[in-house]
Amino acid sequence: MTNSILLLISANFILGTAAGIIMHRSDYCVAGIFRDYFLFRQTLMLKTLMLLIAASMVLFELSRRLELLPHYPFPILGSPSLANIAGGIIFGIGMVLAGGCVVGTLYKMGSGSIISATALVGLIIGSAFYAEMHSWWQSIARSTAFLKGQVTLPQVFECDPLLLIVPIVLVAAILFAHWTKQGTMTRHSSAEGYLQPWKAALYLSFIGAISYILVGMPLGITTAYAKIAAYLEVLIIPMHVTENTFFSAVPLDYHNSLFELQLQGGAGPHFDAIAFIQFPVIAGIIAGAFLSATLLREFKIYYKVPIRQYLSALIGGIILALGSRMTPGCNIWHMFGGLPILAMQSIFFLIGIFPGTCIGTFILRRYVLTVR
Amino acid sequence: MKNNHKKNIIVHDIRGQICPSCLLFTLREVNEQRDAIKNKNARLIIKTDNRDATSTIPETLKSMGYDHNVTKKDGYYTIEIMAKEK
Repeated sequence: MTNSILLLISANFILGTAAGIIMHRSDYCVAGIFRDYFLFRQTLMLKTLMLLIAASMVLFELSRRLELLPHYPFPILGSPSLANIAGGIIFGIGMVLAGGCVVGTLYKMGSGSIISATALVGLIIGSAFYAEMHSWWQSIARSTAFLKGQVTLPQVFECDPLLLIVPIVLVAAILFAHWTKQGTMTRHSSAEGYLQPWKAALYLSFIGAISYILVGMPLGITTAYAKIAAYLEVLIIPMHVTENTFFSAVPLDYHNSLFELQLQGGAGPHFDAIAFIQFPVIAGIIAGAFLSATLLREFKIYYKVPIRQYLSALIGGIILALGSRMTPGCNIWHMFGGLPILAMQSIFFLIGIFPGTCIGTFILRRYVLTVR
Repeated sequence: MKNNHKKNIIVHDIRGQICPSCLLFTLREVNEQRDAIKNKNARLIIKTDNRDATSTIPETLKSMGYDHNVTKKDGYYTIEIMAKEK
């Protein structure tokens, strides 16, 4: 392993650890942000998510103007298709039933949640299921694709990204100023070491920008779940894994000039770029949340939970994995990374998330949280 | 779920449960015990390890006209719910 790869692994681990600490301190659960809007009409966290996206917009655009971004748009993002909306709906259902999104599951697990550990098992099983339907789903995604060759809204309108970003950020700034004046951007919490969510949103936008500059793309972790599934499957049915089109694909292929590396990788059972970018982020988030919970003396494992909730987490994790592969990408990838550069895939994913979360919330309330 | 009914203090331990179980469960219990709490015949104590619940439950209780007291115990939080002092 070269020094450059070790540096890249270290950078991703540090970014993941920072994200884990921040998310644990503020309980920054993106699944909860959408779910609690439908359940309780709570909007504070939704406002902080808007802040995160707007701040990332500014930071990414500033970095682009300063020529700090190695690729714009970043790798893996493609043209939009209706598959992005369908994936978003399925993802929304899954994240509510799992009790957290693909990242929320990690920081909650790091702080001792058995339910989230169950969801993680579901995420790996779901990724394996997706591998079996990849060819079929790809044909649907291809047939419903449009605006081929165009990834972002500025590309569609053939304009400088700044022309779209400035009015969006200005409107957002007016709204944030109004909400701050109203006092609806902060909340009181009795939790020890609590980090206000708006601060967490700003810190996470900085982490996203650093990742974009250093790694060449914002945080993303879902392909690593599929890779874990491939590593496990290859122990049982190695030939099947070798012949599977999803595990053979190499969607990541770009040059990172900062580390002087040609980064290639996919979901297959190989120690490639996906492994040394995404595994350290996953490990970092779990480690960061564990560290934060331990320092607060809050790391405890409670397993006496209704069986329905275990089943919900497992099934939710499976659905979540299917959604993230079908989209493709997770909420962190699209909301913290894609939306700030106005990627159309991310916009369509967001459109799908709302009805998905609404359906997931209905199922959760009707079938999971009904029994004492 | 183990509920400890001791005098007029009703304790619910919902540590480790899936989000958003804490707030939903608490709302249901508060509504079920509304008369007893309002008449000061009962107090509810919720044990939770959910950090978010220490914000969302008190916010909701306040809007419903109840008093509350959040205390950190050995690695978790207790939220005591009682009638508002006039």
